[in-house]
Amino acid sequence: MAQKPKVDPHVGRLGYLQALVTEFQETESEDAKEQVLANLANFAYDPSNYQYLRQLQVLDLFLDSLSEENETLVEFAIGGLCNLCSDKANKEHILQTGGVPLIINCLSSPNEETVLSAVTTIMYLSSPGSGSHPELTAMPVVQCMLRFSLSANTRLRNLAQIFLEDFCSPSQVAEARSWRAHSALGIPLPKTEAPQQP
Amino acid sequence: MASNGRELGGVFDHHVQRAVCDTRAKYREGRRPRAVKVYTINLESRYLLIQGVPAVGAMKELVARFALYGAIEQYNALDEYPAEDFTEVYLIKFMNLQSARTAKRKMDEQSFFGGLLHVCYAPEFETVEETRKKLQERKAYIARTTKNKDHYMTQKKLVTEHKNTKNFRQDFHSETSGFCAAAVNTSTGNSDPCFPYSCELPLCYFSSKCTCSSGEHVDRASNSSQDGRNHDETGEHCNHKDSLQKMQIKTLKNSVACPGAQKAITPSEAVDRFMPRTTQLQERKRRRQDDRKLGTFFETSTSSNEVVIGPLLPDIPKVDMHDDSLNTTADLIRKKLKEVRSLKTCFKRLFDYITKWRIFCSNYSIVIDFFSFLIF
Repeated sequence: MAQKPKVDPHVGRLGYLQALVTEFQETESEDAKEQVLANLANFAYDPSNYQYLRQLQVLDLFLDSLSEENETLVEFAIGGLCNLCSDKANKEHILQTGGVPLIINCLSSPNEETVLSAVTTIMYLSSPGSGSHPELTAMPVVQCMLRFSLSANTRLRNLAQIFLEDFCSPSQVAEARSWRAHSALGIPLPKTEAPQQP
Repeated sequence: MASNGRELGGVFDHHVQRAVCDTRAKYREGRRPRAVKVYTINLESRYLLIQGVPAVGAMKELVARFALYGAIEQYNALDEYPAEDFTEVYLIKFMNLQSARTAKRKMDEQSFFGGLLHVCYAPEFETVEETRKKLQERKAYIARTTKNKDHYMTQKKLVTEHKNTKNFRQDFHSETSGFCAAAVNTSTGNSDPCFPYSCELPLCYFSSKCTCSSGEHVDRASNSSQDGRNHDETGEHCNHKDSLQKMQIKTLKNSVACPGAQKAITPSEAVDRFMPRTTQLQERKRRRQDDRKLGTFFETSTSSNEVVIGPLLPDIPKVDMHDDSLNTTADLIRKKLKEVRSLKTCFKRLFDYITKWRIFCSNYSIVIDFFSFLIF
Protein backbone atom coordinates (compact mmCIF):
# COMPACT_ATOMS: atom_id res chain seq x y z
CA MET A 1 0.00 0.00 0.00
CA ALA A 2 1.53 3.30 -1.04
CA GLN A 3 2.07 5.73 1.77
CA LYS A 4 2.37 9.31 0.69
CA PRO A 5 4.65 11.43 2.86
CA LYS A 6 3.15 14.49 4.37
CA VAL A 7 4.53 17.19 6.57
CA ASP A 8 4.15 16.59 10.29
CA PRO A 9 1.14 14.30 10.09
CA HIS A 10 0.76 13.50 13.73
CA VAL A 11 0.42 17.09 14.76
CA GLY A 12 -2.04 17.34 11.87
CA ARG A 13 -3.86 14.25 13.07
CA LEU A 14 -4.28 15.62 16.56
CA GLY A 15 -5.43 18.93 15.18
CA TYR A 16 -7.94 17.22 12.90
CA LEU A 17 -9.34 15.12 15.72
CA GLN A 18 -9.58 18.20 17.87
CA ALA A 19 -11.49 19.97 15.10
CA LEU A 20 -13.91 17.05 14.98
CA VAL A 21 -14.49 17.10 18.71
CA THR A 22 -15.00 20.85 18.67
CA GLU A 23 -17.50 20.60 15.84
CA PHE A 24 -19.38 17.86 17.65
CA GLN A 25 -19.68 19.96 20.76
CA GLU A 26 -20.65 23.17 19.00
CA THR A 27 -22.80 22.15 16.08
CA GLU A 28 -26.57 22.14 16.25
CA SER A 29 -27.07 20.04 13.15
CA GLU A 30 -27.93 16.42 13.92
CA ASP A 31 -26.50 15.34 10.57
CA ALA A 32 -23.16 16.95 11.34
CA LYS A 33 -23.11 15.32 14.75
CA GLU A 34 -23.73 11.91 13.20
CA GLN A 35 -21.05 12.43 10.59
CA VAL A 36 -18.48 13.59 13.11
CA LEU A 37 -19.27 10.79 15.54
CA ALA A 38 -18.99 8.22 12.77
CA ASN A 39 -15.66 9.74 11.78
CA LEU A 40 -14.37 9.52 15.35
CA ALA A 41 -15.66 5.97 15.73
CA ASN A 42 -13.79 4.94 12.62
CA PHE A 43 -10.63 6.60 13.88
CA ALA A 44 -11.07 4.55 17.04
CA TYR A 45 -10.39 1.44 15.00
CA ASP A 46 -6.73 2.34 14.52
CA PRO A 47 -4.59 1.87 17.65
CA SER A 48 -2.22 4.62 16.57
CA ASN A 49 -4.93 7.16 17.37
CA TYR A 50 -5.65 5.99 20.90
CA GLN A 51 -3.37 8.42 22.67
CA TYR A 52 -4.92 11.35 20.82
CA LEU A 53 -8.41 10.09 21.52
CA ARG A 54 -7.61 9.75 25.21
CA GLN A 55 -6.03 13.18 25.23
CA LEU A 56 -9.12 14.70 23.64
CA GLN A 57 -11.39 12.73 25.99
CA VAL A 58 -13.16 11.13 23.09
CA LEU A 59 -13.84 8.08 25.25
CA ASP A 60 -15.97 10.21 27.52
CA LEU A 61 -17.61 11.71 24.47
CA PHE A 62 -18.59 8.22 23.30
CA LEU A 63 -19.90 7.27 26.74
CA ASP A 64 -21.93 10.46 26.96
CA SER A 65 -23.38 9.89 23.53
CA LEU A 66 -24.78 6.56 24.65
CA SER A 67 -27.47 8.50 26.47
CA GLU A 68 -28.53 10.43 23.39
CA GLU A 69 -32.03 10.06 22.09
CA ASN A 70 -30.88 9.83 18.51
CA GLU A 71 -30.42 6.12 17.89
CA THR A 72 -27.86 6.70 15.18
CA LEU A 73 -25.65 8.58 17.60
CA VAL A 74 -25.92 5.73 20.07
CA GLU A 75 -25.06 3.23 17.35
CA PHE A 76 -21.98 5.15 16.30
CA ALA A 77 -20.87 5.80 19.87
CA ILE A 78 -21.08 2.18 20.94
CA GLY A 79 -19.36 1.25 17.68
CA GLY A 80 -16.53 3.57 18.57
CA LEU A 81 -16.28 2.06 22.05
CA CYS A 82 -16.31 -1.43 20.58
CA ASN A 83 -13.42 -0.49 18.32
CA LEU A 84 -11.18 0.86 21.04
CA CYS A 85 -12.14 -0.96 24.21
CA SER A 86 -9.81 -3.93 23.81
CA ASP A 87 -6.84 -1.66 24.43
CA LYS A 88 -5.73 -1.94 28.04
CA ALA A 89 -5.59 1.76 28.84
CA ASN A 90 -8.93 2.47 27.20
CA LYS A 91 -10.50 -0.48 28.97
CA GLU A 92 -9.37 0.80 32.36
CA HIS A 93 -10.67 4.24 31.61
CA ILE A 94 -14.09 2.92 30.65
CA LEU A 95 -14.31 0.72 33.72
CA GLN A 96 -13.17 3.45 36.06
CA THR A 97 -15.49 6.12 34.72
CA GLY A 98 -18.54 3.93 35.23
CA GLY A 99 -19.20 3.18 31.58
CA VAL A 100 -20.39 -0.36 32.18
CA PRO A 101 -24.04 0.41 33.09
CA LEU A 102 -24.34 2.63 30.00
CA ILE A 103 -23.04 -0.14 27.78
CA ILE A 104 -25.34 -2.72 29.33
CA ASN A 105 -28.25 -0.40 28.64
CA CYS A 106 -27.42 -0.60 24.97
CA LEU A 107 -28.35 -4.27 25.04
CA SER A 108 -31.96 -3.21 25.02
CA SER A 109 -31.66 -1.00 21.98
CA PRO A 110 -33.93 -1.75 19.03
CA ASN A 111 -30.99 -1.19 16.71
CA GLU A 112 -29.23 -4.39 15.68
CA GLU A 113 -25.78 -2.90 15.24
CA THR A 114 -25.99 -1.20 18.64
CA VAL A 115 -26.74 -4.46 20.37
CA LEU A 116 -23.99 -6.30 18.52
CA SER A 117 -21.46 -3.64 19.38
CA ALA A 118 -22.61 -3.65 22.99
CA VAL A 119 -22.19 -7.41 23.29
CA THR A 120 -18.71 -7.24 21.77
CA THR A 121 -17.75 -4.33 24.02
CA ILE A 122 -18.86 -6.28 27.08
CA MET A 123 -16.78 -9.22 25.91
CA TYR A 124 -13.70 -7.11 25.38
CA LEU A 125 -14.11 -5.45 28.76
CA SER A 126 -14.38 -8.80 30.54
CA SER A 127 -11.51 -11.16 30.95
CA PRO A 128 -12.25 -14.76 30.06
CA GLY A 129 -12.93 -17.04 32.99
CA SER A 130 -13.31 -14.99 36.13
CA GLY A 131 -14.93 -11.64 35.36
CA SER A 132 -12.74 -8.61 35.95
CA HIS A 133 -15.81 -6.53 36.58
CA PRO A 134 -18.73 -8.28 38.28
CA GLU A 135 -21.33 -6.10 36.58
CA LEU A 136 -20.31 -7.48 33.22
CA THR A 137 -21.42 -10.99 34.10
CA ALA A 138 -24.30 -10.05 36.37
CA MET A 139 -27.52 -12.03 36.21
CA PRO A 140 -29.49 -9.68 33.95
CA VAL A 141 -26.65 -9.66 31.43
CA VAL A 142 -26.32 -13.44 31.40
CA GLN A 143 -30.05 -13.82 31.04
CA CYS A 144 -30.02 -11.38 28.18
CA MET A 145 -27.29 -13.31 26.47
CA LEU A 146 -29.25 -16.51 26.92
CA ARG A 147 -32.14 -14.98 25.05
CA PHE A 148 -29.85 -13.68 22.35
CA SER A 149 -28.38 -17.15 21.92
CA LEU A 150 -31.81 -18.30 20.73
CA SER A 151 -32.26 -15.42 18.31
CA ALA A 152 -32.86 -15.84 14.61
CA ASN A 153 -30.13 -13.31 13.98
CA THR A 154 -27.01 -15.36 13.27
CA ARG A 155 -24.56 -12.67 14.24
CA LEU A 156 -26.26 -12.06 17.55
CA ARG A 157 -26.61 -15.73 18.19
CA ASN A 158 -22.93 -16.35 17.55
CA LEU A 159 -21.80 -13.52 19.78
CA ALA A 160 -24.11 -14.52 22.61
CA GLN A 161 -22.88 -18.08 22.41
CA ILE A 162 -19.26 -16.98 22.59
CA PHE A 163 -20.07 -14.81 25.60
CA LEU A 164 -21.78 -17.62 27.42
CA GLU A 165 -19.06 -20.14 26.63
CA ASP A 166 -15.98 -17.99 27.19
CA PHE A 167 -16.95 -15.31 29.69
CA CYS A 168 -19.46 -16.97 31.97
CA SER A 169 -18.99 -19.88 34.27
CA PRO A 170 -21.30 -22.88 33.76
CA SER A 171 -22.90 -22.23 37.14
CA GLN A 172 -23.80 -18.70 36.13
CA VAL A 173 -25.40 -19.97 32.94
CA ALA A 174 -27.30 -22.68 34.81
CA GLU A 175 -28.53 -20.15 37.32
CA ALA A 176 -29.64 -17.79 34.62
CA ARG A 177 -31.52 -20.62 32.93
CA SER A 178 -33.39 -21.45 36.05
CA TRP A 179 -34.15 -17.77 36.64
CA ARG A 180 -35.52 -17.42 33.14
CA ALA A 181 -38.28 -19.76 33.89
CA HIS A 182 -39.56 -17.49 36.64
CA SER A 183 -38.81 -13.86 35.88
CA ALA A 184 -40.35 -11.68 33.20
CA LEU A 185 -37.51 -10.56 31.03
CA GLY A 186 -37.65 -6.97 29.92
CA ILE A 187 -34.85 -6.91 27.42
CA PRO A 188 -36.42 -7.26 23.99
CA LEU A 189 -34.64 -8.65 20.99
CA PRO A 190 -33.52 -6.11 18.43
CA LYS A 191 -35.64 -5.57 15.36
CA THR A 192 -34.22 -7.20 12.28
CA GLU A 193 -35.50 -7.59 8.77
CA ALA A 194 -35.67 -11.34 9.10
CA PRO A 195 -38.75 -12.42 11.03
CA GLN A 196 -38.30 -14.52 14.14
CA GLN A 197 -38.43 -18.25 13.99
CA PRO A 198 -41.72 -19.62 15.23
CA MET B 1 -23.07 -22.35 6.22
CA ALA B 2 -26.49 -21.21 5.14
CA SER B 3 -27.69 -18.17 6.92
CA ASN B 4 -31.23 -17.94 8.18
CA GLY B 5 -31.61 -14.60 6.50
CA ARG B 6 -30.80 -16.07 3.19
CA GLU B 7 -33.16 -18.95 3.54
CA LEU B 8 -35.98 -16.70 4.51
CA GLY B 9 -35.20 -14.46 1.62
CA GLY B 10 -34.42 -11.41 3.75
CA VAL B 11 -31.97 -8.72 2.91
CA PHE B 12 -29.87 -7.54 5.81
CA ASP B 13 -29.54 -3.92 6.69
CA HIS B 14 -25.77 -3.98 6.46
CA HIS B 15 -25.97 -5.32 2.89
CA VAL B 16 -27.86 -2.31 1.73
CA GLN B 17 -25.77 0.32 0.08
CA ARG B 18 -26.21 3.59 1.89
CA ALA B 19 -26.52 6.89 0.12
CA VAL B 20 -23.41 8.95 -0.14
CA CYS B 21 -23.20 11.87 2.26
CA ASP B 22 -23.17 15.24 0.54
CA THR B 23 -23.56 17.58 3.51
CA ARG B 24 -20.06 17.18 4.91
CA ALA B 25 -18.09 20.17 6.07
CA LYS B 26 -15.29 21.00 3.68
CA TYR B 27 -12.45 20.24 6.08
CA ARG B 28 -13.60 16.68 6.55
CA GLU B 29 -14.51 15.79 3.03
CA GLY B 30 -12.66 12.78 1.76
CA ARG B 31 -11.27 12.11 -1.68
CA ARG B 32 -14.11 9.78 -2.51
CA PRO B 33 -17.70 10.48 -1.63
CA ARG B 34 -18.74 8.07 1.06
CA ALA B 35 -21.73 7.18 3.14
CA VAL B 36 -21.89 7.77 6.86
CA LYS B 37 -21.08 4.42 8.38
CA VAL B 38 -19.10 2.97 11.26
CA TYR B 39 -17.13 -0.22 10.78
CA THR B 40 -16.53 -2.40 13.80
CA ILE B 41 -14.93 -5.80 14.07
CA ASN B 42 -18.45 -7.24 14.20
CA LEU B 43 -19.29 -5.96 10.81
CA GLU B 44 -16.03 -6.88 9.13
CA SER B 45 -15.72 -10.44 8.01
CA ARG B 46 -13.77 -12.78 5.78
CA TYR B 47 -17.00 -13.25 3.88
CA LEU B 48 -17.76 -10.73 1.19
CA LEU B 49 -21.07 -10.39 -0.56
CA ILE B 50 -20.84 -9.10 -4.09
CA GLN B 51 -23.97 -7.74 -5.67
CA GLY B 52 -24.58 -6.29 -9.08
CA VAL B 53 -22.50 -8.84 -10.98
CA PRO B 54 -23.79 -8.90 -14.56
CA ALA B 55 -25.26 -12.31 -15.37
CA VAL B 56 -22.87 -13.09 -18.20
CA GLY B 57 -21.29 -16.21 -16.77
CA ALA B 58 -18.25 -14.35 -15.52
CA MET B 59 -17.85 -16.08 -12.18
CA LYS B 60 -14.30 -17.20 -12.87
CA GLU B 61 -13.23 -13.73 -13.90
CA LEU B 62 -14.85 -12.27 -10.81
CA VAL B 63 -13.08 -14.67 -8.51
CA ALA B 64 -9.78 -14.10 -10.32
CA ARG B 65 -10.20 -10.36 -9.85
CA PHE B 66 -10.83 -10.72 -6.15
CA ALA B 67 -8.03 -13.22 -5.75
CA LEU B 68 -5.60 -10.38 -6.46
CA TYR B 69 -6.16 -9.23 -2.90
CA GLY B 70 -5.53 -12.52 -1.16
CA ALA B 71 -6.15 -16.22 -1.12
CA ILE B 72 -9.77 -17.22 -1.45
CA GLU B 73 -10.97 -20.16 0.55
CA GLN B 74 -14.28 -20.68 -1.16
CA TYR B 75 -16.79 -18.95 -3.36
CA ASN B 76 -20.26 -19.60 -4.63
CA ALA B 77 -23.20 -17.90 -6.22
CA LEU B 78 -26.16 -17.05 -4.02
CA ASP B 79 -29.10 -17.90 -6.19
CA GLU B 80 -31.78 -17.24 -3.60
CA TYR B 81 -30.47 -13.82 -2.74
CA PRO B 82 -32.72 -11.07 -4.09
CA ALA B 83 -30.93 -9.43 -6.98
CA GLU B 84 -31.71 -6.91 -9.64
CA ASP B 85 -32.65 -8.19 -13.07
CA PHE B 86 -29.79 -9.60 -15.07
CA THR B 87 -27.44 -9.49 -12.11
CA GLU B 88 -26.13 -12.15 -9.80
CA VAL B 89 -24.95 -12.22 -6.23
CA TYR B 90 -21.81 -14.02 -5.12
CA LEU B 91 -20.27 -14.91 -1.82
CA ILE B 92 -16.49 -15.03 -1.53
CA LYS B 93 -14.68 -16.23 1.56
CA PHE B 94 -11.11 -15.05 2.02
CA MET B 95 -8.45 -16.87 3.97
CA ASN B 96 -7.78 -13.87 6.15
CA LEU B 97 -9.62 -10.80 7.24
CA GLN B 98 -7.09 -8.27 6.01
CA SER B 99 -7.42 -9.55 2.42
CA ALA B 100 -11.17 -9.25 2.69
CA ARG B 101 -10.90 -5.69 3.96
CA THR B 102 -8.57 -4.70 1.16
CA ALA B 103 -10.69 -6.40 -1.47
CA LYS B 104 -13.81 -4.72 -0.17
CA ARG B 105 -12.21 -1.31 -0.19
CA LYS B 106 -10.75 -1.69 -3.64
CA MET B 107 -13.54 -3.51 -5.41
CA ASP B 108 -16.56 -1.71 -4.05
CA GLU B 109 -18.13 0.49 -6.73
CA GLN B 110 -15.78 -0.89 -9.35
CA SER B 111 -16.97 -1.59 -12.81
CA PHE B 112 -17.10 -5.20 -13.90
CA PHE B 113 -18.32 -6.37 -17.27
CA GLY B 114 -20.41 -3.28 -17.66
CA GLY B 115 -21.94 -3.30 -14.21
CA LEU B 116 -21.06 -1.61 -10.95
CA LEU B 117 -20.20 -4.00 -8.18
CA HIS B 118 -21.46 -3.47 -4.70
CA VAL B 119 -19.26 -5.25 -2.20
CA CYS B 120 -20.14 -5.60 1.45
CA TYR B 121 -19.25 -7.78 4.38
CA ALA B 122 -21.39 -10.78 5.21
CA PRO B 123 -20.63 -11.72 8.81
CA GLU B 124 -23.87 -13.68 9.11
CA PHE B 125 -22.20 -16.47 7.19
CA GLU B 126 -19.62 -16.98 9.90
CA THR B 127 -19.65 -19.91 12.26
CA VAL B 128 -19.32 -19.40 16.00
CA GLU B 129 -15.72 -20.50 15.84
CA GLU B 130 -14.89 -18.11 13.03
CA THR B 131 -16.43 -15.21 14.92
CA ARG B 132 -14.57 -16.17 18.06
CA LYS B 133 -11.28 -16.35 16.18
CA LYS B 134 -11.97 -13.00 14.54
CA LEU B 135 -12.54 -11.28 17.88
CA GLN B 136 -9.47 -12.87 19.42
CA GLU B 137 -7.27 -11.85 16.52
CA ARG B 138 -8.44 -8.27 16.80
CA LYS B 139 -7.67 -8.25 20.50
CA ALA B 140 -4.24 -9.75 19.91
CA TYR B 141 -3.52 -7.23 17.18
CA ILE B 142 -4.31 -4.30 19.43
CA ALA B 143 -2.25 -5.76 22.27
CA ARG B 144 0.66 -6.27 19.91
CA THR B 145 0.45 -2.81 18.39
CA THR B 146 0.14 -0.95 21.66
CA LYS B 147 2.92 -3.02 23.18
CA ASN B 148 5.20 -2.09 20.28
CA LYS B 149 4.25 1.53 20.66
CA ASP B 150 4.98 1.49 24.38
CA HIS B 151 8.32 -0.14 23.71
CA TYR B 152 9.12 2.44 21.10
CA MET B 153 8.03 5.34 23.28
CA THR B 154 10.34 4.26 26.14
CA GLN B 155 13.18 3.84 23.67
CA LYS B 156 12.48 7.23 22.19
CA LYS B 157 12.65 8.87 25.62
CA LEU B 158 16.11 7.39 26.15
CA VAL B 159 17.21 8.73 22.84
CA THR B 160 15.76 12.23 23.20
CA GLU B 161 18.76 13.04 25.36
CA HIS B 162 21.03 12.09 22.51
CA LYS B 163 19.01 14.24 20.18
CA ASN B 164 20.59 17.30 21.73
CA THR B 165 23.83 16.70 19.94
CA LYS B 166 21.83 16.56 16.76
CA ASN B 167 20.29 19.89 17.68
CA PHE B 168 23.69 21.44 18.15
CA ARG B 169 24.78 20.10 14.85
CA GLN B 170 21.71 21.62 13.28
CA ASP B 171 22.47 24.94 14.92
CA PHE B 172 26.02 24.57 13.77
CA HIS B 173 24.92 24.17 10.21
CA SER B 174 22.24 26.75 10.15
CA GLU B 175 24.05 29.45 12.01
CA THR B 176 27.42 29.49 10.34
CA SER B 177 27.09 33.19 9.77
CA GLY B 178 26.83 33.87 13.43
CA PHE B 179 29.27 31.16 14.25
CA CYS B 180 32.38 33.15 14.70
CA ALA B 181 30.72 35.85 16.70
CA ALA B 182 29.00 33.28 18.75
CA ALA B 183 32.16 31.26 19.25
CA VAL B 184 32.44 32.37 22.83
CA ASN B 185 28.82 33.14 23.58
CA THR B 186 27.33 30.04 22.14
CA SER B 187 24.37 29.92 24.45
CA THR B 188 22.51 32.69 22.69
CA GLY B 189 22.91 30.96 19.38
CA ASN B 190 21.50 27.78 20.74
CA SER B 191 18.32 29.12 22.17
CA ASP B 192 16.54 27.64 19.23
CA PRO B 193 13.65 25.30 19.82
CA CYS B 194 14.69 21.78 20.41
CA PHE B 195 13.41 20.37 17.14
CA PRO B 196 15.18 22.43 14.55
CA TYR B 197 16.45 19.37 12.79
CA SER B 198 13.35 17.30 12.60
CA CYS B 199 10.94 20.11 11.91
CA GLU B 200 12.66 21.09 8.73
CA LEU B 201 12.33 17.78 7.02
CA PRO B 202 9.30 16.28 5.38
CA LEU B 203 8.25 13.88 8.07
CA CYS B 204 5.41 11.63 7.88
CA TYR B 205 4.61 8.31 7.09
CA PHE B 206 1.03 7.34 7.42
CA SER B 207 -1.88 6.58 5.20
CA SER B 208 -3.03 9.72 3.51
CA LYS B 209 -6.67 8.59 3.50
CA CYS B 210 -7.00 8.82 7.23
CA THR B 211 -7.10 12.59 7.35
CA CYS B 212 -9.28 12.93 4.32
CA SER B 213 -12.01 10.39 4.78
CA SER B 214 -14.84 11.39 6.97
CA GLY B 215 -17.54 9.39 8.59
CA GLU B 216 -16.77 6.22 6.83
CA HIS B 217 -14.38 3.40 6.49
CA VAL B 218 -11.01 4.92 7.20
CA ASP B 219 -8.07 3.50 5.35
CA ARG B 220 -6.58 1.33 7.99
CA ALA B 221 -3.77 0.11 5.86
CA SER B 222 -1.65 2.29 8.08
CA ASN B 223 -1.93 -0.47 10.65
CA SER B 224 0.62 -2.55 8.83
CA SER B 225 2.84 0.42 8.25
CA GLN B 226 2.97 1.32 11.93
CA ASP B 227 4.90 -1.80 12.79
CA GLY B 228 7.40 -1.26 10.08
CA ARG B 229 8.43 2.19 11.17
CA ASN B 230 12.07 3.02 10.86
CA HIS B 231 13.77 5.07 13.51
CA ASP B 232 17.17 5.26 11.99
CA GLU B 233 17.57 8.97 12.56
CA THR B 234 17.58 8.46 16.30
CA GLY B 235 20.38 5.94 16.16
CA GLU B 236 22.80 8.25 14.44
CA HIS B 237 24.00 10.25 17.36
CA CYS B 238 24.11 7.71 20.13
CA ASN B 239 27.86 7.78 20.01
CA HIS B 240 27.87 11.41 21.02
CA LYS B 241 26.42 10.71 24.40
CA ASP B 242 29.83 10.64 26.05
CA SER B 243 30.88 13.90 24.48
CA LEU B 244 27.77 15.53 25.94
CA GLN B 245 28.85 14.66 29.41
CA LYS B 246 32.23 16.26 28.95
CA MET B 247 30.82 19.62 27.95
CA GLN B 248 31.82 22.52 30.12
CA ILE B 249 30.35 25.41 28.24
CA LYS B 250 27.09 27.33 28.25
CA THR B 251 25.51 25.17 25.61
CA LEU B 252 25.29 22.41 28.18
CA LYS B 253 22.64 24.43 30.01
CA ASN B 254 20.53 24.50 26.93
CA SER B 255 20.94 20.82 26.41
CA VAL B 256 19.59 20.25 29.88
CA ALA B 257 16.72 22.62 29.26
CA CYS B 258 15.85 20.98 25.98
CA PRO B 259 14.86 17.51 27.16
CA GLY B 260 12.09 19.06 29.20
CA ALA B 261 10.70 20.82 26.22
CA GLN B 262 11.24 17.79 24.05
CA LYS B 263 9.39 15.54 26.42
CA ALA B 264 6.53 17.96 26.55
CA ILE B 265 6.24 17.95 22.81
CA THR B 266 6.88 14.25 22.30
CA PRO B 267 3.63 12.87 23.71
CA SER B 268 1.44 15.08 21.64
CA GLU B 269 3.54 14.80 18.52
CA ALA B 270 3.63 11.22 19.45
CA VAL B 271 5.06 8.68 17.33
CA ASP B 272 7.56 8.13 14.80
CA ARG B 273 9.29 10.35 12.42
CA PHE B 274 10.21 8.11 9.59
CA MET B 275 12.60 9.75 7.22
CA PRO B 276 12.28 8.48 3.69
CA ARG B 277 15.51 7.43 2.13
CA THR B 278 15.48 10.23 -0.46
CA THR B 279 15.29 12.73 2.36
CA GLN B 280 18.22 11.08 4.09
CA LEU B 281 20.27 11.35 0.92
CA GLN B 282 19.30 14.97 0.55
CA GLU B 283 20.13 15.58 4.16
CA ARG B 284 23.59 14.07 3.80
CA LYS B 285 24.18 16.15 0.71
CA ARG B 286 23.13 19.26 2.59
CA ARG B 287 25.46 18.42 5.44
CA ARG B 288 28.34 17.90 3.06
CA GLN B 289 27.67 21.26 1.47
CA ASP B 290 27.46 22.92 4.83
CA ASP B 291 30.70 21.33 5.91
CA ARG B 292 32.34 22.60 2.79
CA LYS B 293 30.97 26.06 3.44
CA LEU B 294 32.17 25.82 6.97
CA GLY B 295 35.58 24.77 5.82
CA THR B 296 35.91 27.87 3.66
CA PHE B 297 34.43 29.97 6.44
CA PHE B 298 37.01 28.73 8.86
CA GLU B 299 39.81 29.73 6.61
CA THR B 300 38.63 33.32 6.85
CA SER B 301 37.74 33.08 10.51
CA THR B 302 41.08 31.82 11.67
CA SER B 303 42.78 34.67 9.89
CA SER B 304 40.72 37.23 11.87
CA ASN B 305 41.67 38.30 15.35
CA GLU B 306 39.37 36.16 17.40
CA VAL B 307 40.04 35.03 20.92
CA VAL B 308 41.21 31.47 20.79
CA ILE B 309 40.41 29.39 23.81
CA GLY B 310 42.45 26.31 24.29
CA PRO B 311 46.05 25.27 23.88
CA LEU B 312 47.96 26.93 21.11
CA LEU B 313 49.48 24.19 19.05
CA PRO B 314 53.10 24.59 18.01
CA ASP B 315 53.56 25.88 14.50
CA ILE B 316 54.71 23.42 11.95
CA PRO B 317 58.44 24.14 11.29
CA LYS B 318 59.18 25.07 7.73
CA VAL B 319 61.79 23.01 5.95
CA ASP B 320 63.27 23.98 2.66
CA MET B 321 63.35 21.03 0.30
CA HIS B 322 65.73 22.77 -2.06
CA ASP B 323 63.33 21.95 -4.82
CA ASP B 324 60.52 24.09 -6.09
CA SER B 325 58.00 21.37 -6.75
CA LEU B 326 58.65 19.68 -3.43
CA ASN B 327 58.37 22.99 -1.63
CA THR B 328 55.06 23.67 -3.30
CA THR B 329 53.78 20.29 -2.24
CA ALA B 330 55.08 20.78 1.30
CA ASP B 331 53.45 24.21 1.50
CA LEU B 332 50.19 22.77 0.37
CA ILE B 333 50.33 20.08 2.99
CA ARG B 334 51.31 22.56 5.68
CA LYS B 335 48.39 24.75 4.72
CA LYS B 336 46.00 21.84 4.89
CA LEU B 337 47.39 20.79 8.24
CA LYS B 338 46.87 24.27 9.61
CA GLU B 339 43.35 24.27 8.29
CA VAL B 340 42.61 20.91 9.80
CA ARG B 341 44.14 21.83 13.13
CA SER B 342 42.19 25.06 13.38
CA LEU B 343 39.04 23.15 12.58
CA LYS B 344 39.97 20.67 15.24
CA THR B 345 40.43 23.35 17.87
CA CYS B 346 37.21 24.97 16.91
CA PHE B 347 35.33 21.75 17.16
CA LYS B 348 37.02 20.87 20.40
CA ARG B 349 36.35 24.27 21.78
CA LEU B 350 32.68 24.25 21.06
CA PHE B 351 31.43 20.72 20.90
CA ASP B 352 34.21 18.37 21.68
CA TYR B 353 33.04 16.82 18.49
CA ILE B 354 35.79 14.27 18.57
CA THR B 355 34.07 11.67 16.53
CA LYS B 356 33.22 14.00 13.72
CA TRP B 357 36.75 15.30 13.80
CA ARG B 358 38.07 11.81 13.42
CA ILE B 359 35.91 11.13 10.41
CA PHE B 360 36.58 14.57 9.00
CA CYS B 361 40.30 14.30 9.42
CA SER B 362 40.66 10.79 8.21
CA ASN B 363 40.73 12.17 4.71
CA TYR B 364 43.72 14.26 5.60
CA SER B 365 45.51 11.89 7.91
CA ILE B 366 46.50 9.66 5.06
CA VAL B 367 48.10 12.61 3.28
CA ILE B 368 49.75 13.81 6.50
CA ASP B 369 51.16 10.38 7.28
CA PHE B 370 52.53 10.01 3.85
CA PHE B 371 54.28 13.35 3.68
CA SER B 372 55.30 13.62 7.30
CA PHE B 373 58.68 12.17 6.64
CA LEU B 374 59.27 14.95 4.14
CA ILE B 375 58.30 17.78 6.41
CA PHE B 376 59.38 16.69 9.85
